Amino acid sequence: MGDVILTMKGIDKSFPGVHALDHVDLEVRRGEVHALMGENGAGKSTLMKVLTGIYKKDSGTITYEGREVEFQNTREAQDAGVVIVHQELNMVGDLTVAQNIFIGREPKKGIRIDDKKMIEDSKALFDELHIDINPREKMNELTVGKQQMCEIAKAISHHAKLIIFDEPSAALTEKEIADLFNIIRDLRKKNLGIVYISHRMDEIKVITDRVTVMRDGCYVGTLVTKDCTKEDIINMMVGRVIYEEPKTHSMVPKDAPVVLKVENLNAGRMVQDVSFELRKGEILGFSGLMGAGRTETARAIFGADPKQSGKISIMGKDGQLHEVTINSPQDAVKAGIGYLSEDRKRYGIVVEKSITENSTLASMEDFCNGPFINKVKEKKAAEKYIKELATKTPSADQLVVNLSGGNQQKVVIAKWLVRNSDILIFDEPTRGIDVGAKNEIYKLMNKLVSEGKSIIMISSEMTEILRMSDRIVIMCEGRKTGELMIEEATQERIMDKATRNID
Amino acid sequence: MTKKKSKLLGDQRFIVLLVIIALITVYVIFSKEFRKYSSILSMLDFSYYDILMAIGVTFPLITAGVDLSIGTGMVCYALIGGTLVRNYNCPVAVAMLVCILLGCGIGLLNGVLIGIMGLPPFLATLCTCMITRGIGSRCSATPWPTLKQPGGWFHSIFKLTFGSGRGAFKFPIGIILMIILVLVMEFVLNHTRFGRYTIAIGSNKEATILSGINVKFYHVMDYVICGLFAGLAAIAYAAVTPTVQPGTGAGLELDAIGGVFVGGVAATGGYGSIIGTFAGVFVIVLLKTGLPYIGLQANWQQIITGFVLIGAVLIDIIKRKRAVAKQ
Amino acid sequence: MEKFKQNPIVRKIGFNRVVLIGVLIAMYIVFCVAIPGFVGLARILDTLNYVYFLGFLSLGVTFVIATGGIDFSIGPVMFCCALIAGYCLNMHGVPIGASILISILVGLAFGLFNGYLVAYWSVPPFIVSMASMNIGKGIGAVFTKTQSVSWPMQGAPGGSFRSIVAVNGFPTGIIIFLAAAFVCGIVLYNTKAGRYILCLGSNREAVRLSGVNTKKWEMLAYVICGLLVGVAAVFFVAAYTTVQPGYGDQYNNEAIAGCVMGGTSMVGGLASILGTVIGVVTISLLQEGILALGLGKDIQLIVTGIIVIVAVYADVSARRKKN
Repeated sequence: MGDVILTMKGIDKSFPGVHALDHVDLEVRRGEVHALMGENGAGKSTLMKVLTGIYKKDSGTITYEGREVEFQNTREAQDAGVVIVHQELNMVGDLTVAQNIFIGREPKKGIRIDDKKMIEDSKALFDELHIDINPREKMNELTVGKQQMCEIAKAISHHAKLIIFDEPSAALTEKEIADLFNIIRDLRKKNLGIVYISHRMDEIKVITDRVTVMRDGCYVGTLVTKDCTKEDIINMMVGRVIYEEPKTHSMVPKDAPVVLKVENLNAGRMVQDVSFELRKGEILGFSGLMGAGRTETARAIFGADPKQSGKISIMGKDGQLHEVTINSPQDAVKAGIGYLSEDRKRYGIVVEKSITENSTLASMEDFCNGPFINKVKEKKAAEKYIKELATKTPSADQLVVNLSGGNQQKVVIAKWLVRNSDILIFDEPTRGIDVGAKNEIYKLMNKLVSEGKSIIMISSEMTEILRMSDRIVIMCEGRKTGELMIEEATQERIMDKATRNID
Repeated sequence: MTKKKSKLLGDQRFIVLLVIIALITVYVIFSKEFRKYSSILSMLDFSYYDILMAIGVTFPLITAGVDLSIGTGMVCYALIGGTLVRNYNCPVAVAMLVCILLGCGIGLLNGVLIGIMGLPPFLATLCTCMITRGIGSRCSATPWPTLKQPGGWFHSIFKLTFGSGRGAFKFPIGIILMIILVLVMEFVLNHTRFGRYTIAIGSNKEATILSGINVKFYHVMDYVICGLFAGLAAIAYAAVTPTVQPGTGAGLELDAIGGVFVGGVAATGGYGSIIGTFAGVFVIVLLKTGLPYIGLQANWQQIITGFVLIGAVLIDIIKRKRAVAKQ
Repeated sequence: MEKFKQNPIVRKIGFNRVVLIGVLIAMYIVFCVAIPGFVGLARILDTLNYVYFLGFLSLGVTFVIATGGIDFSIGPVMFCCALIAGYCLNMHGVPIGASILISILVGLAFGLFNGYLVAYWSVPPFIVSMASMNIGKGIGAVFTKTQSVSWPMQGAPGGSFRSIVAVNGFPTGIIIFLAAAFVCGIVLYNTKAGRYILCLGSNREAVRLSGVNTKKWEMLAYVICGLLVGVAAVFFVAAYTTVQPGYGDQYNNEAIAGCVMGGTSMVGGLASILGTVIGVVTISLLQEGILALGLGKDIQLIVTGIIVIVAVYADVSARRKKN
């Protein structure tokens, strides 16, 4: 490990309603791989975006190579040798690999782009990194893993001195991860500073030298990786103090009937052979790290994305399970499933429309006489749920865009309650919702199950999982890796299964 | 080897070539008239302006935009140029330059509306389509000079005549010019920054911006190039049309745009080739000029072009859907 | 100003539309002052003739734009409807009632074609419009062998259909048009179909994930548009008698202008029937005024083009500010 290349001190950043970074520190040395860890929403990506000039910091200092800097944009950061390999790929799919690597700085021969030189340079770059990719191939014909490799190669070709990997392994196969690690080791040998953001405990132990942990936008601490155990890191990530009392035992009777049974569901790479049961009156928590395939599972069940195989059975009016065919959300809604997306603005609400219009969107038939909407009845229903869910709004005519996150979520809940769906899938039900409103959503969910509804709750917040669930399904890399009753569940056990590689 | 073979068959340009050959074969078999040299000459005459418009509009189409103003624009520039020659004794060479400059000007307007002000391309150019049509009718009453008049020399840009009288031999030099232009623009598209960024904008505009490229500039330039070629098309149009009529030109853009899609430009942008466009536009030209030879009303051509356009785009959409399903 | 904006009537109608009414009245006064002989019933009746067919086109395209799509084949398709129906009427002795029905059915067929391609095959709407525009022109020309078609005059057999526009100088058309606009308003704001159309224009994915068959409803918007285009054709010939194949493009722009000026957003999700009606009247008066000033069709085209650019830019930049 060499001298310090980057010091970030007391970095503070607020967004409207969120204190994203609360005086965070980070120090990176040359020739080290420094892990940045924390649960989703801990502020890791925000910190890196502040560093590379995508966000402006409110306060704090950044010292890079001995001078204080504040990059205005990624270009400036790049020129100084700080490059970031994004989680989302930033590639122009219709151009070739070489063209992508040199985009914006193509070598020229007169007015002609010197493609030959570009290809040769790319080849040299790949040889240096021991990557086997044909620079002539079109980007969108490569696997996601290889695209990632190209992105890394592009970053390195900028004469980088500090490279940030933002969850690079999320989309990679085992073999590709091994390749990636070889590259990173090479880079370390070349005395580059490397920041490695990841959720995967196994990787952290293998590749990193030090680890800095963040939680809720705060700096928790920095450890030397080889001196600490996995448990140490997990403890730092989840925190010792748990604000909300976890559930100690399930209220669901052991013989409660199964309302939804999923068998061997397969949908792409992110949902492989998933099976589980949901009982009446139960909150079934889905835990796992980002990219574990939980949302994909929910969307496949709901018919929002196509699936390859699998059997889905739902309890009919007669109390028996019947196999149902779900090829579209229409089928799912008819079968009594409601889905509350993690991304409400994109998938949940129609922001420019009123609460009333949103509430009845999934059940227009009930409010229509022939083709005509019975607006009085509609408004009554909307108002009923505004009252029942304690939605804060001057009237049911208010446009949803003017509501806070928590109240928007209530509108989405109202939509499915109006529809009278028996099975509700909550995907990150409290994301972007402040603490007070969170509690209300929790109370509401408890009330719903006590009224006989059944809930699947996908959550990346450990405390939320432990507080709400009766039973917990844990997923990792598209597979179900475990199932725990709430009585036997602890943060450590869940984290262990969520980071476990099943093969 | 087999991979190469299937790639060749999968290449839209190859299929288009087969279609062209098939069309010509049908015409040759069923129409005596078509087999004459003069028919080929006249077919080529009427292909130049379509080819020019199509080369130009390929660029906006690759960026996932469109330029609907090229047809009426072309007529507008030709009218203004002709009026200058007729009423103001302007030299023909200057009038030609004016056509090109006007084309660039309207292209720049389109570019600014779309690339900088953020208007939807089809709407902005639908408006400039109407505006150029209005301006064209406003500024004109007269056609361009014909061959017999002074200044008629510009016809021979596209057709050289050797000898005179009945024995005169005419050589379609225009097609050679077209081939040269196609090769030049193919080079521009594939081997210059302008071309590369055009493809990049159409493929993933966001990523292109993040790569630090001045996307606005290149986006505007795409429409300027398109306008430039509409200006060139105006010259070609004036050279073959006995009289350029005010108020016409609407619908001509479809021949060009249809040709580009037939030539394999992706409906969602990001992919295209000028050689493909060249082949694609020939299909349209063959339909346009050839149908009367086999006894079909010229109006059928409009209908058929409409369906050909939809068909070409559908093929592209289905291809992409399959590719996604494979992944 | 703020106080005026908060006035309950102004809020009900919408501030933009109140301004537009102001513009309309001001424009009328300017024309009356500037053009000798513009005052009087004759001009108003002329303007109304323009309002009818353009109004139906504009109402139709409002539904399409509400979904976030576009249809600029409506002008030529309207001519195609009038040509085919008129051809049947003149050449094959089809009764006038049936001819009107044919016109509407042709419009409907185009609507189905456009809607199916856009909704079920995700062909970009502008490409579908381009194709339909030319198919419409071509079919109209093929049917009539490139001849213009005239519909019967008042008094001739079948000429009674002109009563839809005027009876003894009384503009019956205005009643029919307003009634149609009212029905469109009901459909857009008070039926399931209208609700889905508006919502999917605003956020298609959210509507789909609410278990709604978005494709079906998106297609319906184009079908409604086609139907109204067929009706517009009848009003066109009732006012202007003759249609020529190969024309009609300019009405695309005017109809879209009426929509966008009235406050219907090009991005989709927001549509105002009242706005479209006011917008159409404004555009029609403008066209009438330009002609009365002795300026030709060309100026109409240029002015309409500029209006659409300005109106759309206003909409685009207002949205950008919001985000």
